[in-house]
Amino acid sequence: MTAGTAAPVAPPAAPAPSPARGPSRRTREALAAYGFLAPWIAGMLLLTIGPMIYSLYLSFTRYNLMTPAQWVGFDNYVRMFTADPRYLASVGVTLRYVAISVPLLLVVSLAVAMLLNKAIAFLPGYRAAFYLPSLIASSVAIAVLWRQVFGQDGIVNKVLALVGIEGGSWIGNPGTALSTLVVLHVWAFGSTMIIFLAGLRQVPKEYYEAAAVDGAGAVRRFVHVTLPMLTPLIFFNLLLSTVNAFQAFTPAYVISGGEGGPLDSTLFYTLYLYQRGFANLEMGYASAMAWTLVVVLALFTAGLFATARFWVHYGDER
Amino acid sequence: MIFGRRRSRNPLVIALARHALLVAVLVVLLYPLLWMVGASFRPSNEAFGTLSIWPEHITTQNYVDGWSLGNLNFSRFFLNSLAITLLAVVGNVVACSMAAYAFARLTFPFKRTMFALMLGTMLLPYHVTLVPQYVLFNELAWINTILPLVVPKFLATDAFFIFLMVQFIRTLPQELDDAARIDGCGHVGIFRRVILPLSIPALGTTALFTFISTWNDFLGPLLYLVRPETWTVAQGLNGFLDATGESAYGPLFAMATLSLAPIVGFFLAAQRLLVEGIATSGLK
Amino acid sequence: MFRRSLAAGALALGLLATGCAGGTSIGANPNEGADGTGDVTGNIRVSWWGSGPRNEATNAVIDLFKAAHPGTAVEGESADFQAYMERLNVQASSANMPCVTQLQGRQLNDYTTKNALLDLQPMIDAGTIDVSQIPPEVLDTGRGLDGKLYMIPYGAAYDALTVNRTLAERSGAGLPADGYDWDAFADWLQRAQPGLPDGIKAVGLGGGLPNNFIAYTAGRGASLFADRQLGFSEDLLVEYWDMWERIRGAGVTTTPEADGEEPDQTEQRYVAQGKVLADNLPGNALTPAQKTLDGTQPGQQLVTLPLPAGPSGSGNVLFTSGFSIPTSCDNIPTAAAFIDFWMTDDGAAKAFLSSNGAVTNTRHLQQQLDDPNLPATKRAELQLYQKIVAQNPVSVLYPPGYQASFEGAFVRAYESVVFGGTPTRDAARAFMTEVNAALASS
Repeated sequence: MTAGTAAPVAPPAAPAPSPARGPSRRTREALAAYGFLAPWIAGMLLLTIGPMIYSLYLSFTRYNLMTPAQWVGFDNYVRMFTADPRYLASVGVTLRYVAISVPLLLVVSLAVAMLLNKAIAFLPGYRAAFYLPSLIASSVAIAVLWRQVFGQDGIVNKVLALVGIEGGSWIGNPGTALSTLVVLHVWAFGSTMIIFLAGLRQVPKEYYEAAAVDGAGAVRRFVHVTLPMLTPLIFFNLLLSTVNAFQAFTPAYVISGGEGGPLDSTLFYTLYLYQRGFANLEMGYASAMAWTLVVVLALFTAGLFATARFWVHYGDER
Repeated sequence: MIFGRRRSRNPLVIALARHALLVAVLVVLLYPLLWMVGASFRPSNEAFGTLSIWPEHITTQNYVDGWSLGNLNFSRFFLNSLAITLLAVVGNVVACSMAAYAFARLTFPFKRTMFALMLGTMLLPYHVTLVPQYVLFNELAWINTILPLVVPKFLATDAFFIFLMVQFIRTLPQELDDAARIDGCGHVGIFRRVILPLSIPALGTTALFTFISTWNDFLGPLLYLVRPETWTVAQGLNGFLDATGESAYGPLFAMATLSLAPIVGFFLAAQRLLVEGIATSGLK
Repeated sequence: MFRRSLAAGALALGLLATGCAGGTSIGANPNEGADGTGDVTGNIRVSWWGSGPRNEATNAVIDLFKAAHPGTAVEGESADFQAYMERLNVQASSANMPCVTQLQGRQLNDYTTKNALLDLQPMIDAGTIDVSQIPPEVLDTGRGLDGKLYMIPYGAAYDALTVNRTLAERSGAGLPADGYDWDAFADWLQRAQPGLPDGIKAVGLGGGLPNNFIAYTAGRGASLFADRQLGFSEDLLVEYWDMWERIRGAGVTTTPEADGEEPDQTEQRYVAQGKVLADNLPGNALTPAQKTLDGTQPGQQLVTLPLPAGPSGSGNVLFTSGFSIPTSCDNIPTAAAFIDFWMTDDGAAKAFLSSNGAVTNTRHLQQQLDDPNLPATKRAELQLYQKIVAQNPVSVLYPPGYQASFEGAFVRAYESVVFGGTPTRDAARAFMTEVNAALASS
C-alpha cells in the first residue's frame, strides 16, 4: 500500500554531514521520528485501533446493539453477495456516483483554482465566494435549498421553461435523482479547490520565469510546469475524493430523508450500511459491509500508490 | 491561461470581462445560498412557494426568534462551538503536522506499516466505529464533556490531515533540510525553522478544514453533548426542525445564515496565510 | 447458521466487550424497586424528540416536577426524530439509555424483544404510576408482543384527511360526507378535480403511504400483523394498489416525481402550501399546516376529517407516543414518579398542552377542551381525537423491525409500480416476501 512513501527519503545528492557517526545518526532519527509520532501512536492505540478491530470482529457476528453479539462466521459476507439485492443495488449506485463525480470534481476544482490564482481585483472576496457552497453543502438547510433548485417548481425548471422545455422533478425521479447529488457534490468543490490553490502558491515563480524565457506559451507552461508541480496534490485529491465519494453519506441522507429514494436510486453504500446498522439494528451486517468497502478501497489505494512513481513528482526526489 | 494574447491591447476591457464572467458564474453558484438569505428575512410562513431571492415583506423577526431558542439562545451555542472548534484546530495543526513531518522526511523502522495503517483508518466508514467509540468514551466517563470531540484531535486521529501535510511537505525541496542540517539544526530545528514556515499554506488549509468540519459537525455533539446548555450551533440548527411537530424554517434560515459568519471570517483570515504566507509564491 | 459465542477475551478487548455486552445486565442487580417504590430523589435523564415549541413545553413540565419533588434533578435530552432514534440506539448499545425514554408504538418492540425495557405493570399495581384515566384501548398501544406493558402512552396521534375547505367549496364538490369510504373518496376526488385551479391536484399520490394502507386494512377488518409476520393477504394489497392506480389514472393525483420529492416536515407538505386539495397528514399537523397556508395562500382554511372507512368500520388507528423505563435505569423510583407526575398532574398537562398528539388522560383532555383560550386548530385536533377514540379504534401491535422493514419496503414497492411499471401483483408479492423475511429475522 505504501509503494511510493518510504523509498525516496535518502536523496543521493545529499551531502552527508558526518558519515562517521552514521549508525547513531540513524538511531537518533528513528527516535526523533517516534517522538514526532508520539501523539499519533497514542491516539492509534487508545482511540482508533480498538474500535476498528472490534468492528472487524462484529462483522463476523449477529449483533443487534442490545444483546451480546453471536458469532456467525462468514455468514454476513455470504448473505451480502448472494441474498441481498439491495446491497448490489447500492454498489451500483455508488460506483456510478464515484465514476461521474470524482473526475468532474477534480477538473472543476483545478480550473477554478487556476482562475483564482491570478492577480485580479477583489481576489480574496472572490475566493471566499467560490468557497461558500461547500460550507452549506452538509447543513440541514441544504435539503430545502436543493429542492429550490432541482424540485418540480425549482429554478432549473423555470429556466428550462423559458426555452420551452417542460421539466419534471429532478429529485423525485429515479432517473435523475442521482445526477442532482452529483451536481451537489461538484457544487461543493471548495475544499478540493483550496488544496489545489495552496499547491499553486507553492510553485516557485522562477520555474515560470525560466519557462517564459524558453518561449513557452500558457498551455505549455501549464503542462510542463504547473501540472508536474501539482502532481502530489492531484494524487492526494484523486485518492481522497475517490475515498470520500465511496463513503458519501450526508448528501443522500439529507436530501432523501435517509431513505435513498426514489426507488433506491440514491441508495449509497454507506447509506444502506447505516440503514442496516441503525434502523434494522443489524450492526454485524453493517460492519461486514464496512469491511468489504475497506478491502475495495485498500486495493484501490495500493493500486494508485503503485502507479504514483510514474506520474507523481515530489520535491524530495530530484 | 484562459485568455489568449491576441486581443490583450486594452487591459481594462479584459479586466471587466473577467469580472463579468466571475460574477455571472457566482450568481449561478450562489443562488441557493442567496435564496436562503432572502428567506431568512421573510415571515416564517412565507418562506416557501417562491423562487425569488428578494423578500416581499422584510422582517427581522426570524433573527429575533431564532436567536432565543427556548430558554437558551444562540449566543451560548456560538460560544460552545467556538471553544470546541478552536481547540480542535490547535490540536489538529500541532499533532498532524508533527506526524506528517515524520512520515514525509524521516526514516524509521515500521514506517511503511505505520503509514499503511494510518491510511487504513481513513478507509473504514465511521458508522461502524461509532458504537465501540461511544462505549469507550462512556467507560472513560467522557460523555457530556467536550473531551470526545477534542482529545482525538490532539492525538492526530484524523489521517486525512496527516496525509494532506505529508503530500505538501514532500513538494518542498529536500535540499532545504540538508542545508539546515549543515547549519547544525536537529530534527526539531528543521521542523520548526524550515518545514513549518514553508508549510504555512498546508497548515492554513488544515486549520481551515478542521474549523469547518468541527463547526458543522452534528453527529459528535449529538452523541456526546446532550445537555442543551452544552449544545453547539449545529445542534441548535437541528433544533428548529422536526418531522413530528412544528418546524421553524424562518429562524432556521436566519441562524444558518449567521452560522456561516464565523466560517467565512475564519476563511478570510486563513486565506491570508494561504496567499501571503509563502515567499516563493506562484503567478503574480 | 450455527451459533457459537466467542470466548471472552478471545480478541483481547476486555474493556470494549464488557461495555458492549452490558445492555442486558438485568441479572446483576435484580431491579431494586422494580415496582417503582422507594425514595424519589437524585438524578434522572429524560429524553424526547421534537423541536422548539415541544422542547419548551417539556422543559416547563420538568421544572414543575422538580418543584414538586425537591431533591430531584432532571436532565432533558432532545433532538429531532431521526437524530433522536440514532442516538438512542447508540446509547442502548452502551446500556446508557435515559431512565425516562420516550418511544412510539412503532419502535417499541425493537427494544422489548431485546430485553431493554422494564415491564411497567408492577409499578401500576404498586400505585407508583396511575393510568386510571387512560382509555384501555389507548393504553394497549404500549404493549409488547408478549402482552406486557412497556410504554405508558401520553399522547395519541392519528392520521386525518386534511382538506383545503376553501378550495373544496370553490370546486363545487364540498367535503366528503360523514362515514365516507374509499370508493366515495375516489368519487369525491374526481368530482372536485375539474373545479380546481390550474396546476392543483385533488390529492397527493398516496398509494405508497404506509399509513393509508394501515387505514385500509383496519377498515376491512384485516390485521396488519400476526405476531412476527404480515397478517393481511396479498390480494388485499393488490386491491389497495389497484385502487390507487385507478385514482392516479383518473388524473387527480400529484405525479410520482412530485410525490418522491415531498418532504416529511408539515410546513413543506403540498396540502399545507395549497398545492393540493387534500392529503393524509397527522392530525396534530393541523396547527403548523394552517400556519403555513396562512402565509402561502392567505384566507384559505384547512379542516381535518377521519380517514375513509371500510365495510368493517372506521379506518382510523392511533399512533401513540409514551414513556418507557430501560432495564439499565438506576433510579426507578424517580423515573416512575416522573411518569406518574406527567400522566396525572393537571398543571403539567396544561403546560404541555397536547404538544405531541392528543393528551391520553381523559380528564386532561376535557380540561383542555373546556379552556376557552384553546387555539381553534388545536381544538379541532382534540375533538377529532375524541371522536376517533369513541369508535374504539383498532390498536396495531407492531413487531420488531416494523419501521425499518415495512415502511421503506412499502414505499419502494409502490414506486416500482409507478416508476417501473411493475404489475401490482408482482410488487405485492415482492413486498410480502421481503418484509416477511425481514420480520422473521428481526
